Amino acid sequence: MKYILLSGILSILASNVIGQREIEYLEYDLDNGIHVILHEEHATPIVAVSVLYHVGSKNEQPDRTGFAHFFEHLLFEGSENIDRGEYSELVEKNGGALNANTSQDRTYYYEILPSNQLELGIWLESERMLHAKVDIEGIETQRSVVKEEKRQRVDNQPYASFITETFSRMFKEHPYNWVPIGSMEHLDAAQEEDYVNFYRTFYVPANATLSIAGDIDIEQTKAWIDKYFGSIPKGEAINLYRDAENLSPDEFKKKYNVELDALDLKKFSPQRDPQANELVKKYSAMPIEIPRPEKATEQLNSVIKDVVYDNIQLPALFMAYRFPDQSHPDFHALEMMNDVLSGGASSRINKNLVEKQQIAQFAFSFAYGLEDAGMGIFAAIAAQGKDLDSIQMAFDEQIDRIKNELISKEEFEKIRNQYENQFVSTNSTIAGIAESLADNHVYAGGAEKINTELDEYLAVTREDIQRVAKKYLTQDARIILHYLPMEENPDNK
Amino acid sequence: MKKYIIALGLFVPTLLFGQIDRSIRPEAAPAPTINIKDSEVFKTDNGITVILSENHKIPRVSFNLVVGSDPVLEKEKTGLSDIAGTLIMSGTSNRTKDVLDNEIDNIGATLSADNNSIYMSSLTKHMDKGLTLMSDVLMNANFPESEVDRIIKQNESNLTSTKSDAGSMAQNATAAANFPKGHPYGEIMTFETLANIDRSSIVDYYKTTFSPKGSYLVVVGDITLEETKKMVEKYFGSWTGPQPNQTDWGTGKFNSGNRVIFVEKPGAVQSVIYVSFPMNITPSHPDYLKLKVLNNIMGAGGFASRLMQNLREDKAYTYGCYSSINVTEDGSWFSAGGNFRNEVTDSAITQILFELEQIVDDYVTDKELSLAKSSMAGSFGRSLERPSTIARFALSIIRNDLPKDYYQTYLQQLEGVTKQDLLEVAQKYWTASNCNIVVVGNEEVVPDLGKFDADGKIERLDAFGNPKVEKIPSDLTADEVLNNYLSAVLPNISASKSKKLAKKRKKFLSGIESMEVVIEMTSAQIPFPITTKSIWMAPNIRGQLMEGQGMTFSSSYSDGKTGQQQAMGVGKSEMTPEEIAASNKSMGIIPEFNYTSTGMEYEVIGIENFNGRDCYVLKLNDGKTVSFEYFDKETFLKAGTVSIETEGEETQEVTSTYEDYVLVNEIMFPSTIKVSTGEANLEGKVVSRTINAEIDLAPYKK
Repeated sequence: MKYILLSGILSILASNVIGQREIEYLEYDLDNGIHVILHEEHATPIVAVSVLYHVGSKNEQPDRTGFAHFFEHLLFEGSENIDRGEYSELVEKNGGALNANTSQDRTYYYEILPSNQLELGIWLESERMLHAKVDIEGIETQRSVVKEEKRQRVDNQPYASFITETFSRMFKEHPYNWVPIGSMEHLDAAQEEDYVNFYRTFYVPANATLSIAGDIDIEQTKAWIDKYFGSIPKGEAINLYRDAENLSPDEFKKKYNVELDALDLKKFSPQRDPQANELVKKYSAMPIEIPRPEKATEQLNSVIKDVVYDNIQLPALFMAYRFPDQSHPDFHALEMMNDVLSGGASSRINKNLVEKQQIAQFAFSFAYGLEDAGMGIFAAIAAQGKDLDSIQMAFDEQIDRIKNELISKEEFEKIRNQYENQFVSTNSTIAGIAESLADNHVYAGGAEKINTELDEYLAVTREDIQRVAKKYLTQDARIILHYLPMEENPDNK
Repeated sequence: MKKYIIALGLFVPTLLFGQIDRSIRPEAAPAPTINIKDSEVFKTDNGITVILSENHKIPRVSFNLVVGSDPVLEKEKTGLSDIAGTLIMSGTSNRTKDVLDNEIDNIGATLSADNNSIYMSSLTKHMDKGLTLMSDVLMNANFPESEVDRIIKQNESNLTSTKSDAGSMAQNATAAANFPKGHPYGEIMTFETLANIDRSSIVDYYKTTFSPKGSYLVVVGDITLEETKKMVEKYFGSWTGPQPNQTDWGTGKFNSGNRVIFVEKPGAVQSVIYVSFPMNITPSHPDYLKLKVLNNIMGAGGFASRLMQNLREDKAYTYGCYSSINVTEDGSWFSAGGNFRNEVTDSAITQILFELEQIVDDYVTDKELSLAKSSMAGSFGRSLERPSTIARFALSIIRNDLPKDYYQTYLQQLEGVTKQDLLEVAQKYWTASNCNIVVVGNEEVVPDLGKFDADGKIERLDAFGNPKVEKIPSDLTADEVLNNYLSAVLPNISASKSKKLAKKRKKFLSGIESMEVVIEMTSAQIPFPITTKSIWMAPNIRGQLMEGQGMTFSSSYSDGKTGQQQAMGVGKSEMTPEEIAASNKSMGIIPEFNYTSTGMEYEVIGIENFNGRDCYVLKLNDGKTVSFEYFDKETFLKAGTVSIETEGEETQEVTSTYEDYVLVNEIMFPSTIKVSTGEANLEGKVVSRTINAEIDLAPYKK
């Protein structure tokens, strides 16, 4: 008894030690609306330069899905000042590495460079933002690349369509109805103009967060940011600038009623020519409306049961529950609940369905948190000869248990350890810190969350976990999908 | 906590900046210095040198213990240290392997070991628990028999696959050529040396090697000096052990003149070429960094490097040609090469030697130098984020007696390397005329190799770097070998010395209509058992199914006229007429019985050792696959088959061994079958073998 008490106190002390390790940063907005976050640390002579664009598949038109992800590819094609294919080459030649990714809510680009190449990184990202190559040649190339990616990652992967299948049933109105990879038909049907418009709407300063972490000198970094990003025109003026680069003198004159020659692109604001200056001022004052869906309010009110035939050998069960969005106060407790059920080999679902009952080949659950809504997913691939109903029963047993009983102290301690490990490893690299800061700024109500989030997890109690289980694991409102082998489709016979 | 939030609009950048010309690309700033703090070093009473690199950036700490012993000659037990290293994490006298694994997971720590070190990393708050487990493994590893057996079996399979892996064979030959017997680097594990390794020698290795005396404990991360001293005393203070072995192994063996070494890989369509030589340098020498830059330009710098540009981009001899330098306290060497089509084997060697000559004779270009420096600086910089890199540096400074700021100033040193430096080290350490040229490949490439050898004599080594024992000529004809084999597999039918033996056998075999064999296969590379079912039905229907985890991985079916196969992830394909024709050359339940009438090409090529047994070797060619069948010289039962299938420029080699023959329906069949493909090793036990049973063909035709 004494020992347990003592170790309890010790672990509380230890967790406070972690809480005190603040990640310092500085943040400000540029006049054109770019939000800048800088984290300075000199442990390693490298820098991570990243730009988060607040655009994902949920910002797409229903008949133009896949655009956000498509842009993640397209925007490596180059810019006015960077030749096709040269973007990655410049990074690699200068000792760096780069990548990008897209979700329902965001598109994220980053470079990791030696710190003496910071200016290069800032220039590269500013080029991408101001005037990337969005033309038919690049579109054609990337269409085939993206199609290949979809073939490899989705079409040829058994069960991989379950995300599409669950989201489309859960969200009938909200654009979470579709997923980032989108529709290849839409990409094919889209014209160059559609792509250009997407760029003009979403790839603009007011929609971007520039997050730089690593071995930087704050003053020098700010000066370079001003030079390359500060000079990017504000509001609709960015598209005026893009037009000045892309339109012929006649087209430009026709559209703006000002001679193209009158505009100085190298010194864009203020312009020497009074007429041009008026034009730039006018367009700078016009904000760009970024279309964003409202948070999803639609709820699931009943059990939706369906069968999906796929190119698979073993049947599988997917169940989905409506969770709140990722910034909802209940979401941390839902994540921790999920870890009790499915965090690692010794978790409840794996121990019961896979190891003890041996009814499932693989079984897991996860808490899917997004900006506008969330989802809890339970998934299992049946063991040979086992039916999906018995798997559902086993899942339900686990769901009933977590709703009806407090989790054990040992399980609670283990998942708290997991969160601390996870927190430390995410913030052990400058690339991880740059990303966390940008994410927290855009989606979690502030960059400061990087220093307070772990405390929020550690504040979750066993009672909270039981409460959210009861609230969100609603047996009378869920999606139940049976994945069956193609051969069993009666329509095929 | 300091935090600044600067209000919107404080900056009016467009006014601060006048013109901006975006077409001007930013120049790099001066190379940064590295902020690696000096390490604290202290020695414990029991002889451990503790190196602490304090870093409180994140609440994590790692302990890496490296023993101080130099490598020792393992002679007839070569491979012992590797096997012992693999087994250290197999449990202790206090914890079984399962318990150990669980306790590590519960605190989210990492604990791993090899033949001369143990590493533990955890959150600072779990350090005590992590060190409890680490010191338990360090002092109380107990090497359970069952685990010893498992690892030795696994290594047997690996050795079998070495013979089909040209890359490993080339490495073995390169090691043997640069470091002849008497140097630990030249020792290569074989079936014979593996057979000499037992639990007691493993325990002995562990007890003599893992000793505090002369060892290094590198501590990195969120821990103070005072705390480190406390932890080291608590967890390693009671550790005792003998003096470490110290041997100066010197350098490798330098040639005078180029030496060509050939390792035969029957049926190969590509040659693996390694051009190598020893270098007289240790990691502490200032030339080491210059050699790294030189090597980056030569063949370690990706597409831009000279070997890649010449042999891939320009000549299209290969997909990749690389060079590497290996610099250690106990011996150092250079090696360059890759895989090349048979017909360009000699041209590729000519070009590799040409590039060596060039780099020894002339300056590299400024562009090459600057590219090599920036790519090396970049990857060096990124590597520093890993705590393990810092730990490695701290250890390297102490062990190699480097200046304390060696890694701090690494980028400046790199920047300071000149063309002149590179030419000097090239001339000092590299050569195009005293190389070991190792070629692993098809016999047909040998005639073109003589011209590279200083004395024109090509040496031949086996898969394990030992002098190749020439095949003993066979004293029997191919037909005599086959006849003896048939007597061996049909012992009772063949017992009477009847003149009508052939007829008698034929009559017996014609009474057999079908056979179904079920084999349970296990493999270290595959986490679940696999069942294969094979069927044969007269006259020549064959089918096979591979199943596991409730899934069918592959199925095949052929009836002598048509056939098909299907594999997971590959899809279904019809057999081509060539494949059908090839399969019809192996007809009947004992195909060897019919070789004379099916058109199978076969010849006896000599007597050779196969897995420790002398065997008659028959070379077969069915028009699609070349295979070598090994018939035991004593029993005449088939000990194994090596088959080589060629698909374009790829060859797939499969080695099967047959053991534990038993009599089923008057026929001797193996009950243990091992299959090795280079990627995977499977061990199969025959679960059932049914003669003349009803067979449902449907599953095979799917």
